Amino acid sequence: MYLPDFEYYAPDNIAEACKLLTQFGEKAKLLAGGTDIIIKMKKEVLAPEVLISTKNLGMNKIEYVPGKGMVIGARATHNDLVKSEVLAGKYASVSNAAKQMAHNQVRNVGTVGGNISNAVPSADLPPIFISLNATVKLVGSNGERTVAMEELFTGPGKTVLAQDEIITEVVIPDQKMTGSNYIKFGLRKSGALAVVGVAVAVQVENNVIKDARIALGAVAPTPVRAKKAEEFLKGKTVSDELLAEAGVIASGECKPISDIRASAEYRTDLVRIFTRRALRKAIDEGHV
Amino acid sequence: MANCIVDKDGVKRYLVTVNVNGSDFTKVVKANTLLVNFLREELDMIGTKKGCELGDCGCCTVMLDGKAVNACLVLALDVDGREVTTIEGIADGEDLDIVQEKFIEHAAFQCGFCTSGMIVSSRALLNENPSPSEYEVREAIAGNLCRCTGYVNIVEAVLDAAEKK
Amino acid sequence: MSVKIKRDYSYVGKSLDRNDSYQKTTGRAQYTADLKFPNMLYGKLIRSNVAHAIIKNIDTSEAEKLPGVKAIITAKDVPAMKFGLSPARFDENIFCIDRVRYNGDKIGAVCAVDEETVYKALKLIKVEYEELPAVFTWQDAAKEGAPQIFEEYPGNLNTEIHHKFGDVDEALKNAYYVRTDRLQGQRTYHAFIENHCSVAYWDGDRATLYSSCQSVHYVQYHLCRVLGMKMGDLRVLKTHVGAGFGGKLDPTGLDFSAVILSKITGQPVKMFYDHEETFLNGRGRHPITMELTTGVDKNGKILGHKYKAILEGGAYTGLGIASTYYAGSLLGVLYDFENYQFDAYRYVTNLPPCGAQRGHGQPQPRFAFEHHLDLIGEAIGVDPIDMRLINARKANTVTLAGYEVKSYNLRAANEMARDASGWKEKRGKLGVGRGIGVGNGGFVTGAGFCQYRTDLPHSVGMIKIYDDGTQAFVYSQAVDIGQGSDTVLLQMAAEAMGYPYEQCTMYAGDTDLSTLDFGAYASRQTLMAGWAIKRAGEDIKQKILEQAVEMFRATGKIKEGWAYIGNRELRPDDLDVKEGIVYVKQEPSLTLTFEEVARRYFVTKGVLIGRGWYHPGKLGGNHKGAAVGTSPAYSSATQIAEVKVDMETGQIECVDTWDVHDSGTIINPKLFHGQVHGAFYMGIGETIWEEVLFDKKTGKLLNGNFAEYRLPTALDMPPVLSLTLDDSWEPNGPYGLKEVGEGATTPTMGAVANAIYDAIGVSMTELPITYEKVWRALKDKK
Repeated sequence: MYLPDFEYYAPDNIAEACKLLTQFGEKAKLLAGGTDIIIKMKKEVLAPEVLISTKNLGMNKIEYVPGKGMVIGARATHNDLVKSEVLAGKYASVSNAAKQMAHNQVRNVGTVGGNISNAVPSADLPPIFISLNATVKLVGSNGERTVAMEELFTGPGKTVLAQDEIITEVVIPDQKMTGSNYIKFGLRKSGALAVVGVAVAVQVENNVIKDARIALGAVAPTPVRAKKAEEFLKGKTVSDELLAEAGVIASGECKPISDIRASAEYRTDLVRIFTRRALRKAIDEGHV
Repeated sequence: MANCIVDKDGVKRYLVTVNVNGSDFTKVVKANTLLVNFLREELDMIGTKKGCELGDCGCCTVMLDGKAVNACLVLALDVDGREVTTIEGIADGEDLDIVQEKFIEHAAFQCGFCTSGMIVSSRALLNENPSPSEYEVREAIAGNLCRCTGYVNIVEAVLDAAEKK
Repeated sequence: MSVKIKRDYSYVGKSLDRNDSYQKTTGRAQYTADLKFPNMLYGKLIRSNVAHAIIKNIDTSEAEKLPGVKAIITAKDVPAMKFGLSPARFDENIFCIDRVRYNGDKIGAVCAVDEETVYKALKLIKVEYEELPAVFTWQDAAKEGAPQIFEEYPGNLNTEIHHKFGDVDEALKNAYYVRTDRLQGQRTYHAFIENHCSVAYWDGDRATLYSSCQSVHYVQYHLCRVLGMKMGDLRVLKTHVGAGFGGKLDPTGLDFSAVILSKITGQPVKMFYDHEETFLNGRGRHPITMELTTGVDKNGKILGHKYKAILEGGAYTGLGIASTYYAGSLLGVLYDFENYQFDAYRYVTNLPPCGAQRGHGQPQPRFAFEHHLDLIGEAIGVDPIDMRLINARKANTVTLAGYEVKSYNLRAANEMARDASGWKEKRGKLGVGRGIGVGNGGFVTGAGFCQYRTDLPHSVGMIKIYDDGTQAFVYSQAVDIGQGSDTVLLQMAAEAMGYPYEQCTMYAGDTDLSTLDFGAYASRQTLMAGWAIKRAGEDIKQKILEQAVEMFRATGKIKEGWAYIGNRELRPDDLDVKEGIVYVKQEPSLTLTFEEVARRYFVTKGVLIGRGWYHPGKLGGNHKGAAVGTSPAYSSATQIAEVKVDMETGQIECVDTWDVHDSGTIINPKLFHGQVHGAFYMGIGETIWEEVLFDKKTGKLLNGNFAEYRLPTALDMPPVLSLTLDDSWEPNGPYGLKEVGEGATTPTMGAVANAIYDAIGVSMTELPITYEKVWRALKDKK
């Protein structure tokens, strides 16, 4: 296959990267792991005249910062998330979600920032990040800002990032949630996009659900919260019937399409099933 | 950029040095040179194969700083100064690596086209996890498709090459 | 028959390492795309992007101006002679002349100094089409007033078969129970990982073509015929081949273009496909609509069977006629019944052509019949395995179509699979969402007839012993596409000669150097090339023994009186040779080494060569189309699969499998079992995950990639226990062997589908049995 021609830059710091993004405008794209953008270029979906490699920008640490939360550098790879003891110790559900993405070779180079900014509706990390109330730091030529993960996405492949902005880190704040979980349903056990992805985070005390966040992937133009299902759960005692009903409600809060992988009808029912199963797992396993 | 030269038609080329199987190779390439083509065309190392070229089949798998990656999705310029291990670098001279020996013993290949990538993925796994479970082996090679063997003998070979617990 | 066969061989039956082990595990193995020749050009095909159209104009002027472009050819630059793999249907051209018949059809080729320039040149080529209405299903192709894709196939009907044996209607009338089922098989692809590639160059009037192919002979034959070359002027050979499964049997546009462009430019040319183009090349499994009606007696014995099959063939015939015959011709081998009616139709459509894929035409009909048989058994209260035991063919019988079956152990295969899997403890007892199912199959061991009309033998073998006897070179055009034919042929050569296997080297798949063989298809090579090589080895052995007699007499190795045995002189049949040592049978301590005997032969007589020849002879069946289904030997097989189904989501997981293959003598058990694993892998992939998808309006290929054409990954594949029958021995096979490569795919779809039925209680009649289809079936059932 053929990769179209482009100019290549490898800036040494974020400021320089933002400057290049401003200088070239629409002609330039950032290159992180490459597992999305190189494929798009080979398929001729994208043909940027300039690629700005992030290889020298660092941003790949995963550390817990007291007072701030779990800070995940945007260039941390999916396997970095899988193998990080710091992350697995505090948010095992995020490590487990990262593990389900694509396959090993892609996980070794595909970055969190790249995955998020590519904004495919079926991406695996956004739902679990949203359920844990994560925020994203964006740095541009004019300064930096923090955006809630669930406000980052505006449509398939679209985010609120300005042309000159770079994602530098994802922060999961300290929280009261007692259990969380991400279930991905794909058409084979590896190397499959999510047909449906359900992430939940719950706060359960004395078998009563005090708080719940449910984020659905692959069933709408962006990841979406199942807010009605969340409201329904709050204040109620855990039971099989309760969780099943939450699943039914959540399935009414998605807008899936039919494509070559699955029909909208199937996806809707899978949301019902996996919302129930994800809640059950989050409650029973009792870890975030 | 300091390491960029422009020819009379305005085409830009860049200097890149990649350490492959222990030796540094310096070439001047266009930016759109993928690592798999750098290896196969610039360095004449044809052991790494091109199959799907979209990162799904894994027959282009090499190690980048010890981690298994799809060489068809990596730019040569992005691995400037880094270490790449290809299938040609798995054996030690005429001494085969134990993974290669066990592949032969267990007939873990038939047409052989996926084998370079499969052996590199397996070696990368055992470097990190010397005694994997069967599930961990299957997970590590899930990105390497094989149409001939159904993976049965491959998994056996990798488990046999692993350190016994 | 439960007699233990005595097999006392040095090499046959041993799990020796593959002869290409070192190359393939170190990255040294070269495939066609790895070849580089000095001053080589790169080329690709120009393809249509419309499904059915008249070509009005091809404008290559912009592309020709691009620096680095060396030559562009279209139909006007190449011979217009038609060719095809079915002698009765030559409907393909090197490039489409006046019209394209599928989205992706070939209309020309470009070559340039490097790959990038070729891609850029392709973008600059402008083609003007007058689009015609197109059809993408056989139903639409068969409709009144449908667009005619070929003049020579009115109503788009490409093949029509009507077989009638006995009296089915009478048999059904007298049956205890009659049942009709309708089932559907889908379009799938071989999905090998190595894309097709061809490299060619000329030296004067001779051309050399490297092709990633399954048969160097057929490529040579078709190219010479169309290009007007003498066969001796075209050398076709192969490097290592990255599998084929039937998809590398048709000569491709790459083959023709490489030869033509290298002549025009005077430079070597490498023509290659991207992965999607390998899909567009097609030649995979036909979608097939099947209607089965069977009448049984109260024990489940088949009294009569009526079977209608409609195949959707894509845009050209290729091997499609054989595929249509195979859809019905082997059922009567598997099961013994006298009354059979088979009606089949193949329609052309505006999609990539369908052809032969592992099991050639059989796997989906096997799925259909095996599931149908289970449903019959359920209705009359007979266990599935018992249904098969009662109907399985026995050895040394003749089928209703006149095919002679010598060894056949399907009953024993079913019994062994039943016992190994714990069938009796599991069937009906696993609970909801878990199931166990059985499927039978088997295949021809080589087809009785060549793909084109000829009197050529099917395989000719040659062995040359090196001057000083230290190496044996084995020559055969048999192609190792991964199945291990090189290795097993070397084993048989070594065995037949009595020469060490470690000193045997293969020269295979080269029309200059290796001797005729029709190539890798119809699971023929181990038997047919095996006979030729075995006979060549015996020829060598005979010459060695004769030479040794001379030497025993002349070299003083004979004791007083030993030049004579009794009252006669020493004869060759007083000697034998094993693993490189020639010895006198009556006095085994009297030996000569093979090497010294061979060297003496060379010194006194010249090159020591052994020759072998094989032709299956006239094989049974006098009805039209009987040729397809004839074979010197038939394998049989039973597979049992155990599955787990998520009753909410429909997700299917196969958790365990057992295979028993009635394959005669196993030449190399390690490689044999590998074939079973791989055959099962393809079968289960096609049962649950794989389907080629096209846009319903434009006929554009939607999933020509390994993300959306889903092959099972290592995490999806169940364990496979592969077993064999020790007392299976085939008189028509060298050393008693039969095939395994294709036959082991034929039971799989039936076994898995039947297991799913057992798990969910709903009959799934349409392949692939996807998770969503199961989910929907369970929902509708409620």
